[in-house]
Amino acid sequence: MSKLLKNFGVAGLVALISVAVPASAGSIKIGLNVPLTGFAAADGKSALLGAELAVEQVNAAGGINGDNLELVVYDDQASPKESAPLAAKLITQDKVAAGISGSYSGATRAAATIYQENSTPYIAAYAVHPDITRSGDYVFRTSFMGEVQGRAGAKLIGEIMGKKKVSVITLANDFGKSLAAGFKQASAAYGIEIISEYDYSIKDREFGPIVSKVKSESPDAIYASGYFFTAGPLVSQLRAAGIDVPVIGQEGYDGEMFIKIAGEAAEGVIITTSLDRDSTDPLASAFIEGFQAKSGYPADMVSASTHTAVLVLAAALKKSGAGDKASLRDAIAATSINAATGNISFNKLGEVRKSVQVQIVRDGSWHHYAVISDPVLLAPPEE
Amino acid sequence: MLFVDLLIQGIVQGAIYALIALGLTLIYGLLRILHVAHASLFTLGGYVGVIVTNQTGSLTLALCAAMVLVGLLGMLIYRVAYRPLLDKPPLVALIASIGLFIAFEEVFRIVFGSYGISFHNPPLRAQIEFGGGLLLSYSRILIIVMAVSFLSVLAWLSSRTRTGVAWRATVTDPQMAASFGINVENVRYLNFFIGSALAGAAGVMVVLLTNLAEPTMGAVASYKALAIIVLGGLGSVRGTLIAALAIGIVESFGTVYIGHILDRDAIAFAFLIIALMLRPQGLLRAG
Repeated sequence: MSKLLKNFGVAGLVALISVAVPASAGSIKIGLNVPLTGFAAADGKSALLGAELAVEQVNAAGGINGDNLELVVYDDQASPKESAPLAAKLITQDKVAAGISGSYSGATRAAATIYQENSTPYIAAYAVHPDITRSGDYVFRTSFMGEVQGRAGAKLIGEIMGKKKVSVITLANDFGKSLAAGFKQASAAYGIEIISEYDYSIKDREFGPIVSKVKSESPDAIYASGYFFTAGPLVSQLRAAGIDVPVIGQEGYDGEMFIKIAGEAAEGVIITTSLDRDSTDPLASAFIEGFQAKSGYPADMVSASTHTAVLVLAAALKKSGAGDKASLRDAIAATSINAATGNISFNKLGEVRKSVQVQIVRDGSWHHYAVISDPVLLAPPEE
Repeated sequence: MLFVDLLIQGIVQGAIYALIALGLTLIYGLLRILHVAHASLFTLGGYVGVIVTNQTGSLTLALCAAMVLVGLLGMLIYRVAYRPLLDKPPLVALIASIGLFIAFEEVFRIVFGSYGISFHNPPLRAQIEFGGGLLLSYSRILIIVMAVSFLSVLAWLSSRTRTGVAWRATVTDPQMAASFGINVENVRYLNFFIGSALAGAAGVMVVLLTNLAEPTMGAVASYKALAIIVLGGLGSVRGTLIAALAIGIVESFGTVYIGHILDRDAIAFAFLIIALMLRPQGLLRAG
């Protein structure tokens, strides 16, 4: 009996090895750090699925000049003290051609420094901190910087919606602060008067005092930054207090979870983001359908941005090959591709240039509201 | 009117803090254990509240289920984690407790998913108008009413029943209580049940306000409740209640008027530090 088991064990082991070996032959490795545990695990899951979908699509279409793309994934818990050693491990042990961050700003910044030191290209999919791309010329970003999106928010409220008296509720972290800075910078140009400003911490879920104060000021619109897990409770508490003016958010709201948490209160909420759900573009709709089929839930900004980052890298790899990291870097810098989040190209600093999609919640899902494609207003910093 | 509104927001928040911190202070008073994992029980209360309400449509049933289940889990934690460590230095139990707290967060994530869950139809969203434009939702009124009634029942139990007398006797002097024939072990189980059930109720209340039960929702509760029992004078029930209300109200006004300088937690801890500088023994000494 034990001999039989042993034989099965050996056979199993042989089978495992024979499955594992051919996959890594003729493949190009790219590193991905995503938070799969900890507070950001939900976004990490979307990012990972978005990246996997992109890799599957690239490989199904013939891979990188015949070689398969292979993801090497590590959980960084959205923490810099995890992401930095993981970046070193990806570069030195796993020998990846380039890396992608499917993580938040803190973790991405720390890893970006390591990638830059090792002259290995690194693309931040949706981390917003301005210093990430300032790590050096090997670091790129495929999502909007907070300031850029904040400026788009000002145009949206002041010009497209025609609302002038605005209360600003800001999430007090790099994401919220940079959004608020961009919004304030552009608000005067669109005749917006900011009548009050409040900060809250990422741990807050109860906004009773702020809601009471905002109610007493009767603004025309509320510009509130946050992630779905803060924005959902915030919007539902604003509506529960009888405040019915438009609430304008950003890509942190983007996804099904915001609508689930805020429920009926989500109706009519408008956000600036990267993915147009009603897009007729074949690439975008292929992504939206493919993601739904793969994950079982609708696509969101995080998955779309990570998907885009992988496609950018794949396109550059096709041009330069995986051998030389410097020419891969140059190929990324010269990117001009169409992806699910729009037409992607980079400026001198490695910041993305693309249009801002404005989406609104109608009948429990995100829909097209407007597009802002003003290259001057949306110009990311050059240094 | 804004003043009254903010005051009520503060009282609602304070009532929730009080329910969480009370269990902590009772357990500290009895066993000298800082029960950090108490905040996990609060989180579980939120989850049970949402799940039972979504399944049955009854918030009352959900509240009862949350309190009973969380209370039982509290007893189980005592039996499995703390009881074997009672003769070790308190630090050992504290470390066990922190470990439990971290483990629970990941268990919630595995069992309930990483995104958190919400009510399909958030209950008690309707509002009543009081004079002068003051609007209060049923959920906030319910929270105040429930907190006051739980605390009153508890006060009545502890001062007017034999069990309550046994409980207080055990807190004051466990050896003496045991030699008078009180089953100290039973008192401890009861203590964990009641303290945990109150945290479970607080979890349901918070979810009523935020409509989001998530794995990390105990994080703030864990250290805020510790701050409150320190401010209250470790182990003093009355001190804990006063401290909870004070911190709730200070936070309410603080977030609106100095929120751009200090965030909500920083305001609470600044208040804690100032209060402890003035009264190092806490608001009330444990009695």
